[in-house]
Amino acid sequence: MKKRRRRRYHFIFYLGSKTLCINPRGPKAQANAQKMNTHRPARALSRAISRALSHSSSSSSSVQQQSSTFPLKNVTKSNFEPALADLRRHVAAADFVAIDLEMTGITSAPWRDSLEFDRADVCYLKVKDSAEKFAVLQFGVCPFRWDSSKRSFIAHPHNFYIFPRQELPVAGPTYEFLCQTTSIDFLAKYQFDFNVCIHEGISYLSRGQESEALRRLSLTFDDELLTRCSNLKEPVHMPVVKIADTLFAERMKNTFTEWRDGLLNLRSSNGGFQFQQNSNDSQQLQTIFFKMRPALSLKGFTSHQLRLIQMVNGEKSCQQQLVVRTDSEDDRDLLLKEVKDEHRREAEVKVQAAVGFRHVIDLLSSEQKLIVGHNCFLDIAHIYNKFLGPLPSTAEEFVSAVNKYFPHIIDTKVLLNTDNVLQQRMKKSRTSLSSAFALLCPQIALGKKSTDSEVQLCVKVEVQVDDLRSSNWNSGAKHEAGYDAFMTGCVFAQTCSHLGIDFQACLSSEKLPHNEKLQKQINLLYLSWSNGDIIDLTTGKKKAMSSGYNNHKKRYAQIMFENIALIWGFPSKLKARDIRECITKVFGPTSVTTVYHLDETAVFIQFSKEKFVSEFLALKETLERSDGPVSVLHPLTGLLEGGSTRAANYETYKEICSSASAKVLFADQAEAVGIKWKTKLVESKEASETLKREIFDEKSDMNPASKPEKLRSNTDNAQDDPLRGRLSHYKIIDTLITSEGDRIRTN
Amino acid sequence: MASLPPFIRRRFLSTTTTTNVSKKWAVKEVTKSNFSESLEEFKDHLSSSDFVAVSLQKTGSYRAPWHRPRPFDTADTSYCKAKYAAERFQLLQFAACPFTLRASKLTPYPYNFVLFPRDELKMGMPTYSFSVQPSHLTSMAEEGFDFNACIYNGISYLSRAQESAAKARMGNPTTSSYVMSSSSTHTVADTVFVERIKSRVKHWKSACKNTKKDNALLSSLRKIVMGSEIYGTRPCMNLDVCSERQVQLALEMLKEFSDELVPLIIPAKGGGTQAVRVVLTSSTADKDLFERELQNLEEEQNKRVRGFREVIDLISASQKPVVSHNSLNDFTVIHSEFLSPLPTNVDEFMGSLHSVFPHILDVNHLMKNIGPLRKMTNIPAAISYLNNHYFAPIDMEILPQESEGNIHRHNVVKMCYLFAKLCSILKISDNAMVSNNALLAPAIKEYSNISNPCFDSPQESTNEDIRVWTKNMRKVSCDQLVFLWGFRSGMTAGMIKSLLCKSHAVFSEEFDVRLVDKSCAIVVFWRRGLSETFLDAMSSEEICESLMEIVSEGLRASSYETYKRACRLGLWEADLAESLDKALEDSDYLMEANSATNSKEIYWSSDSAINFDDL
Repeated sequence: MKKRRRRRYHFIFYLGSKTLCINPRGPKAQANAQKMNTHRPARALSRAISRALSHSSSSSSSVQQQSSTFPLKNVTKSNFEPALADLRRHVAAADFVAIDLEMTGITSAPWRDSLEFDRADVCYLKVKDSAEKFAVLQFGVCPFRWDSSKRSFIAHPHNFYIFPRQELPVAGPTYEFLCQTTSIDFLAKYQFDFNVCIHEGISYLSRGQESEALRRLSLTFDDELLTRCSNLKEPVHMPVVKIADTLFAERMKNTFTEWRDGLLNLRSSNGGFQFQQNSNDSQQLQTIFFKMRPALSLKGFTSHQLRLIQMVNGEKSCQQQLVVRTDSEDDRDLLLKEVKDEHRREAEVKVQAAVGFRHVIDLLSSEQKLIVGHNCFLDIAHIYNKFLGPLPSTAEEFVSAVNKYFPHIIDTKVLLNTDNVLQQRMKKSRTSLSSAFALLCPQIALGKKSTDSEVQLCVKVEVQVDDLRSSNWNSGAKHEAGYDAFMTGCVFAQTCSHLGIDFQACLSSEKLPHNEKLQKQINLLYLSWSNGDIIDLTTGKKKAMSSGYNNHKKRYAQIMFENIALIWGFPSKLKARDIRECITKVFGPTSVTTVYHLDETAVFIQFSKEKFVSEFLALKETLERSDGPVSVLHPLTGLLEGGSTRAANYETYKEICSSASAKVLFADQAEAVGIKWKTKLVESKEASETLKREIFDEKSDMNPASKPEKLRSNTDNAQDDPLRGRLSHYKIIDTLITSEGDRIRTN
Repeated sequence: MASLPPFIRRRFLSTTTTTNVSKKWAVKEVTKSNFSESLEEFKDHLSSSDFVAVSLQKTGSYRAPWHRPRPFDTADTSYCKAKYAAERFQLLQFAACPFTLRASKLTPYPYNFVLFPRDELKMGMPTYSFSVQPSHLTSMAEEGFDFNACIYNGISYLSRAQESAAKARMGNPTTSSYVMSSSSTHTVADTVFVERIKSRVKHWKSACKNTKKDNALLSSLRKIVMGSEIYGTRPCMNLDVCSERQVQLALEMLKEFSDELVPLIIPAKGGGTQAVRVVLTSSTADKDLFERELQNLEEEQNKRVRGFREVIDLISASQKPVVSHNSLNDFTVIHSEFLSPLPTNVDEFMGSLHSVFPHILDVNHLMKNIGPLRKMTNIPAAISYLNNHYFAPIDMEILPQESEGNIHRHNVVKMCYLFAKLCSILKISDNAMVSNNALLAPAIKEYSNISNPCFDSPQESTNEDIRVWTKNMRKVSCDQLVFLWGFRSGMTAGMIKSLLCKSHAVFSEEFDVRLVDKSCAIVVFWRRGLSETFLDAMSSEEICESLMEIVSEGLRASSYETYKRACRLGLWEADLAESLDKALEDSDYLMEANSATNSKEIYWSSDSAINFDDL
């Protein structure tokens, strides 16, 4: 008895939105229902079409004469979930999956275009810059499965519209991406639907962002629990001044006691519930059960009244809607934990939903299928940056990380250019995706009836979209990611057959990635197409292109990067010819191998000997220091006119490439990087070595990829962290501009 | 589009149908296809109107809280902020609305120009690339903005600076603008050159006239020998020149033949002149005809090159007062997109802008004259406030409703309406408006002040209304402010204040703390000189015990100068603390004279100022 008396009754104010807790499935279930409803007409329609079409296609399927055109599977956020479920099945059954991406741009400045003068590490920096700055708007995924009964591939082209909407309110700077005007115009030319993309595009979180969001969540909830408990222990008193308040508080106190006593009676007597409420109260107070415990839900009180109620109960809180009776302190803790877990689950569901399109990437990664792309190094970099995390600073690290997620990648462009047999077949034709497709798969590309000899060679591909099937499909929508992925897959299938892979025989016994005929090309990607550098994803080794086709492109047979000087900021009237003239006057007619314009403000000068680079830089420096008559008459003066001519060696170019800013002109970029010196001297080989190392160290510091990490850790316990702000309203945002807080909270 | 589920398609179609409702003020949507006829119409409306209101829609606003103009910004720093935003984001929609306001009758003619920086000339102009904020695009989409219409059919443009660059690069021949100081003496080389080309021209001319009935072989041979070509239907010949001097000499020489020959100047690819082209006309009448042809060609080309900028040029040429809601943001964009790249400092910008738009009226600034509106940045809210509190009927057909498609396009009309109301309430006299020519009576001039991005101008106004709101503003000089950062994250201004109170003697006097963003706070010392004392104490060797503790925890402090430097250097990190740290690292600027600072005064408002930024 005594023990019982000592036991206190705890009232807990439940924070947060009422619907969230009392009916946790409420809003979401409703939304789902809505989604189903809106989706149904579309589905019904497509089914009707399919019925109408299947009539004709089934009759023609044996003959295969006309090519049918039905749209490929477009996926937006409204049909994402069912489409993902379908895709899971298709990918699981697939022999390989072809992918393609449409981006908002390729190069953030003309001088960032890939050049013959790109060393492999610079190539990677350029790709990295592109993947970091631009967004992916469309993602084509096309699983291919060999159907041995039909002796044909079944392809399921999917076209995902994606848009990096910030579904979760995150602290930190507003996300931005870059658009290259010409790329956007290019997409428009092919009827890309920007409205669908922006309205309906599927959002996503990278793995990095997801774990960050979850980590912040747990922090938030731990904090909240802590504060709540501490609040319970030291109740905050609010002086009651107004008589009206005292009266109100007194009445509420009575009501609660009465209610509690009523509950106790109920328990002891097992009789009917006797809590008497007067008519006014019954509207505002309602007994419900919350987590198996009796609770009073409070409705229609003002915040001031709620504050008074809270004071009556000796606990601090606000916007509470429930008073829950608990039997003991343990029980109270248990309840708190339950509530907390529920909040956490809710939030986790939200994070899960925000993961969005990344589920597709995770699917491709977890299924470990062979991924097929066309010239896809940039695509892979985008996938890494958007769906995994910040890009590493070197190609080697990047490649080894990629290899873990996607152990088997094959690039059709590498395949077409490195195999001699295919080379002959391709003759001299271009290896762009559409021309390769037209050449290798004429029966699909042109929808024409193949001659008998070709039929032998052609791999059959049947396309299935929802219920529609065709063995002769051509949507014709070039430069739509889904269709491009389909073309890539077809080119790959055809190429395999040319390499002598018998799908019928091999696919039943072994996986395609392990086929010995593909071993020479698997996991090889073009680091840069323009200079033919290839990188091996498994080893991280770089090599120049091994065979034929591309070699004639290399006008600058052997580029000695040590022999290159970089000059920028010279008078704009100087052309390559003039610059060469200036320099050859000093260093001799054969000293300059090539002068290459990076853009109108910068040139590369390739000297015939490495020592010329340091001599040139030293000479420039001395000339600029002395302004006597000798320097005026010196042949180099023309180059130095205007006084803002800068020069350095190739390492500086790399340094400038690695900076995050995006100025259109190289000279402006160099200035933005913060280069204040006029000439970077290179004294000897040793000196340049140490210099290189220094630059390298510097760069790891200013590596932009590490920046988001830093920022995020700074913002962890941020006051106006909206996620937290939503869950606990009692934090007062105290900043100079309240509008800011408003904006974020309404996000 | 065809592949879309029908419900999506329906939604997009619906936006276009609802906006076709014909009302007097119905906004005219202008795209590439109807630009030239709309331009004529716009020209007429513009010339008959008193004002023109402009409203812009861009692809983003601010990246981080401190990047937007704040009450503690000077003209300089807020210009830096506006410049940073203007240079990155792309203008997609330009609403221009010429309107008349007579005896409280408002007649607007709203136009909505949809823009896209398409590279029509394949020269990487007007914009190589631009930034986009997905969150901003999403809210634009929610307001009914049609991105397809914009990207497919938006009107392109070139700025004035880009136009001249483009013309030089296109290398189209231009008619010569020959002005020769005849007194200049000819050197021997000059005389040789002139004689040589003169004989060539003579020879060529007579040959052209005599060979009407030549056979094909002969004429083609002649072409090769004499460098004769055909320009349009007329024969022509190119005279190669090596310098501008030779161009002038050639033109002088050609004056002798001015009755029949028309010289054209062929520019070289990166500026300068490549050659002088001489075109032979058959008679004086033919020569006139040819010159007219050339002129038309040039106009056509100009139209193609300038694109939408014609509208800007029209507005500028009309000299009508331009009404804008957020003039600093809008006009930095207008300047960088349509005039030339933004200059580095605000004074140059003002000078350059003033020469193009002499009268700019900022509605935001007008609103500041009505106390409670000072904080209001939302046009509809301001209108409803004025409707409830003032009797100032403005005669216009009902305001456009929110529900109608693209909300943004109606903003400009609402802005006209708000402007009209404000004019009526602030008694900006009617007679100033009615007389068409003397548009800007002194009363209105007072408000036409774009230099009010910050709070450094109101002292010049003597108007009764202004005192109302300056009352709760306290004047603070920049040197009374100290930026504080490096404190534990999650601290509130109150916590910082109480922390500081215990730390140093200077805080026994009155001071205030406000958070700028979560990383950085600003401290105002109400007594002058204390900020220096505090900064000295922070950096001195014998730092006092209490201060030492918080400094060792990482607290940093710096003067307003550091903030200005961060803005000027463009250190736009997400957290102000980060930017200030970087600004301190940049040693070059430590030496810099800070003479300008002392004169700068800003008004410290006791409540937050909210910037209208995106509607």
